[in-house]
Formats: sequence, structure tokens, C-alpha cells
Amino acid sequence: MTTTPEPDLSMPAQAVLVEPPDSSTPEAPTLQDPHKKRSQFADIWRRFRRNKLAMGGMVVVAIMVVLAILQPLISPFDPYDQNLLNTLQPPDADHWFGTDILGRDLFSGMLYGLKLALIVGVSTMLGSMIIGTTLGAIAGYRGRFSDGLIMRTTDIFLAFPALIGAILIVRTFGSGVAPVAIALIVLGWPTAARLMRGQMLSLRESEYVEAARSIGASDTRIVMRHILPNAIQPVFIYSFTSIGVAVVAMASLAYLGVGVPPDTPEWGRLINQGIEQVQVPGKDFLWMFPSGAICLTTLSFAFVADGLRDALDPKLR
Amino acid sequence: MGKFVIRRLAQAIMVVIAATLLLFIGLFVLGDPFASTGDKVVPPETQEILREKFGLDQSLPMQYLTYLGNLFTGDLGIDFNQRREVSSMIGDALPATARLALVAIIIDVFIGVVAGIVAAIFRYSFWDVLVTILTTLAIGIPTFVIGIWLRQTVSGVWIFPGVPRSFTEVVPWYQEVLLPAFTLAIVDAAFIARLMRGSMLEVLRTDYIRTARAKGLGERTVILKHAFRNSIIPVVTYVGISIGILMGGALITETLFQYNGVGFLLVKSIGQNNNPVIMAIVTFAVLIYVLLSMVVDILYAYLDPRIRLS
Repeated sequence: MTTTPEPDLSMPAQAVLVEPPDSSTPEAPTLQDPHKKRSQFADIWRRFRRNKLAMGGMVVVAIMVVLAILQPLISPFDPYDQNLLNTLQPPDADHWFGTDILGRDLFSGMLYGLKLALIVGVSTMLGSMIIGTTLGAIAGYRGRFSDGLIMRTTDIFLAFPALIGAILIVRTFGSGVAPVAIALIVLGWPTAARLMRGQMLSLRESEYVEAARSIGASDTRIVMRHILPNAIQPVFIYSFTSIGVAVVAMASLAYLGVGVPPDTPEWGRLINQGIEQVQVPGKDFLWMFPSGAICLTTLSFAFVADGLRDALDPKLR
Repeated sequence: MGKFVIRRLAQAIMVVIAATLLLFIGLFVLGDPFASTGDKVVPPETQEILREKFGLDQSLPMQYLTYLGNLFTGDLGIDFNQRREVSSMIGDALPATARLALVAIIIDVFIGVVAGIVAAIFRYSFWDVLVTILTTLAIGIPTFVIGIWLRQTVSGVWIFPGVPRSFTEVVPWYQEVLLPAFTLAIVDAAFIARLMRGSMLEVLRTDYIRTARAKGLGERTVILKHAFRNSIIPVVTYVGISIGILMGGALITETLFQYNGVGFLLVKSIGQNNNPVIMAIVTFAVLIYVLLSMVVDILYAYLDPRIRLS
């Protein structure tokens, strides 16, 4: 394996355009200021760290992920365990968030709901990003017929009222977590596809891509190695926001009675129970905790996305 | 230009046809609305008669073509549940949704524009920071959650009618509309404030503002007469799109506040498998979205010849 030579400022700039002969070199050589020995990631991390909101968001996200993974171990009660002798208890030492109408521990239910929310949020994000970026890249790079076909398809999906589409898909597949994720992926990919296509269109005409083409690089290579790393940034940033969007969408569906089975302690279900079924004064904890959790989740992911945008592209500030 | 408009129109028609076709197939896959479910037992003969009455005995393509044909003559069919004309049901719900949309827009334009101008004029001051924090929160907190909080804390207090309330309790529309309108307005107000602040700052840097100041005009005249008119343009575009989206019915917000608009009607109809109503409302929402994005595209193409020729 040939080692990449130490970047040398005396080297003419076009040397960078020549592809390394060995394709197993993980990163293309870049010109660096010799005085700075920091990697690009260290640089991004340094900028990200300075943003207090983004850091706060990331800490909350990290805590939520840990809680969701440890849910079976740390859950004080079985979230499905009913206790009709102890219903609608306000929060106390035993039941931190109180108990619901069937005497189920709300804290355990919320933990379970957190797990569901993160599973649906992340799988929706991954699914719609993979489908969206692939189709968007094809549309943007190939243009002409595939562009027209893919873009008209996104038009149709975006024109369709999202919640109705989700309800129809979920009810077709039956209740459960997977149908919800599928529905949200079906409705989420067009946004990612449009973002990616826009990036592709502008980068396709750039000089470095033309250079790569002129030395005979294949289309796949140009897209995968040259355009994608530069085009992925806005899609990557959007992906964090989209997790929050998916969490809210899932809760909204559950609030309307669509999605997970009725006894699942999903956040939207818990809210529905708290505000529609139990209309007793003083039982506000029933809807406060789940709605607060949804709010905290979306805000945290949005702050991380904001921080990432600023950290990845300091010019935008 | 004419060519561009025709191409864009053809695209719009295609999108409407494809979206309604998708909905049609979706409703078909969902199942037979007249089948026996749970406690409801429908004898097979009755099912036959009902299907024939509502045209569900026809083949699927035939049903769809009939639907499209009826759409052009304005016949939306009869709903499965109350046997009412769907057009009259929508006619009842649409004014409520229109009122909600208009009140929400008035609230968010007022708050957004004032907050944006204040933030731009007193840039980096306490007020600017406050606007930044509030808009960040308003955009980050989902409308669903804002609706829940408003409903659970403010409804039933002072002039805000309680939710839920019985059918017998009649509330004047201007009271009923307040809380859902606020719920819908908060996010839009935040976006408008940001738009307004950005465009105001840009305009304030231009030469003609400097000229206006140089010739001795008061700051008030400069801001309100000269800067305001030019910086409001992006807000106008945003409001146009926002009205269209709101007219399609705000499902969650209307349901939360039990507001009898198009969105709540749609949610109820889905629960009842009331296909003609679902078809009519979704078609309406799709039409509005498609028309609006077409108008925006054509406007942009009119303003920028590069788009038209690409």
C-alpha cells in the first residue's frame, strides 16, 4: 500500500486531483495547514462543543439512549402490570410519575414508551434516509427520465396529507411498531430525496467532478467517492430533525387511536388516556409527563441538528 | 412562459390523479366498509343492497372513473353514515376551518412581523435575544404538544371555552376559534419572525435606506415606510403557502379542541370507514396543495427566466 505523502505546500494544487492509485486508501489526501495537526472531525467536535444548546441536546439524547437500552433492567415495575387497588395515584416515592387508570406504574410505562419512540424514530430515519438519498442521488445525477419519474413521485407523496397516508398504511398492515415505522418511512423519504437531488444537481456540474470524469472515473465511483461525501451534509443534519418528527408523528397517530395496540404504554396513548379518558381534576401528571417527554425529545434532536449544522459549516453562522 | 405554464399544469393534473388513485386503492385495501365488524352484524343480502346502492359492486377502475367524473360535476356522493350529501357536510365544516385558518394567520402575522422588526432594529439587544430564544422553542416544540398544554391549562378559563364540552353547550365562534388558532399560530409566528428579522436586516443595509436617512427622514419613517415594504415580501410568500396548508384542515389541532372543521370531520370519517367523505376531503387538500405549489412555481418562473428555460 502506498502511503500518502505528507501534504506539502510547495506541491502544485493539481496534484490533489490525481487519484491515489490504490483505491484501498481510506481517505483522499487533502491539503492541510501544516501548523494545525487537527483532523477534520476534531475540528467539527471543537465547534460543536462550544454550542451549549447543542451539547445539552446531545447529553439528553445520550441519556435517553442509555435509558432505552437499559429499560428491562431499570424499569421499577412491569409496564403492563395492573394494580386496581392503586389507581390514579399522584407521584410518590414508590411510583415516581404516579400510576394510571389501571394502576400501572407511569414511570415504567414512560421508559417503555421511550424505547418505542427511539426504535421508531431511528428506524424511520434510517429507512427514509437510505431510500431517499439513493433515489435522490439517482434523480440528481442521471437527470432526464429517472429525474422526472422520481421527482413526480415525490410530488405525489408530498401532496398527499401525511397523517391520512400514515393512518391508511398503519391500518392496512395492522397495529404494531413495524407498521408505524413503515408508514413513516413511506411518507418521509421524499423530503430526503429532494434534499439529496438538490445537492447532486449543483455538485454534478462542479469542476472537481468534471476533473474526475475527464480522467475516466466511472459514474459509480464519481457518485460514491466524490459527490456523496460532499452532498451528504444537509441530509445528515436533516436526519436528526427527522427523528424528532417521527417521534411526534407516532405519538399523534397513537393519540388518534392508530398504531400500537391499545394497551401499549406509548407516549401518545398515555396522553390520550390522560386527557380523553381520565377527566378528573388534579390528575395532570398523566398527560404532563408524556407530553413533556415528547417535547424534550424533539427539542434535543433539533438542538443537536442545529449545532451540527453550525459545526459542519462555520461559514453559515 | 406559456409553454412552462402548460407543462406545470399537466404535471399538477397528473399529481392530483395519482394521489386520488393512491387514496382509492388504499381505501379499497383497507376493507369493505359494509362488512360485519365487532358488534355490527350485517346480513349478506343487506351488504349486497348497500354495495349496489353506493356503487361498490362495480369494478375498481370503473368506480374510480365514476368518482372522477362525478368530481367534475361537483357531485361528491352520499356518506355511508348519515346518508347526507357529502358536499353539504363539507359545506358545514369548511367555513369553520376557513375561520380558524384566517384567525391563526392574523395572529401569527401580527406577532411574527412585530417580533421580527423589533429583533432586527434592536439587533443583539435583550429583545433580539428573547425573540431568538422564543422562536427556537416555538419551532422545536411540536404543535401537538402545544395544543395539549393549551387545552389542559387555559381551556375553560376566562373567555376560552372548556374542552370537551357537550353538544348542548353553544359557544360563539370567535371564542371557540381562539385556542386552536393560537396553537396553529405559534410555529408560523416563529418562522415569520425569523424571516422578517433576516429580510429586515438585509434591507437596512441597502443604499436606499442610507439615502433615506441621509436626507434627514426620521427613523420611524425609514423603518415603517421604506424598509418595511421591501422586507415584507418573503413573509407574504410564506403566508400564502401557510393559508393553503391550513385550509386543508389541521387534523390534530381540530381533534384536540373538538373544533368542527374539515380536519376533525376527516378524523371522525376515518374511524367510521366513511369513504366518500374521506375521498372528498383528501381530494380537496391535495387540490389546494397542488394549486398553491403550481402558483408559486409559476410566479418564480415569471420573476426568474432561468427557471422557466431549464
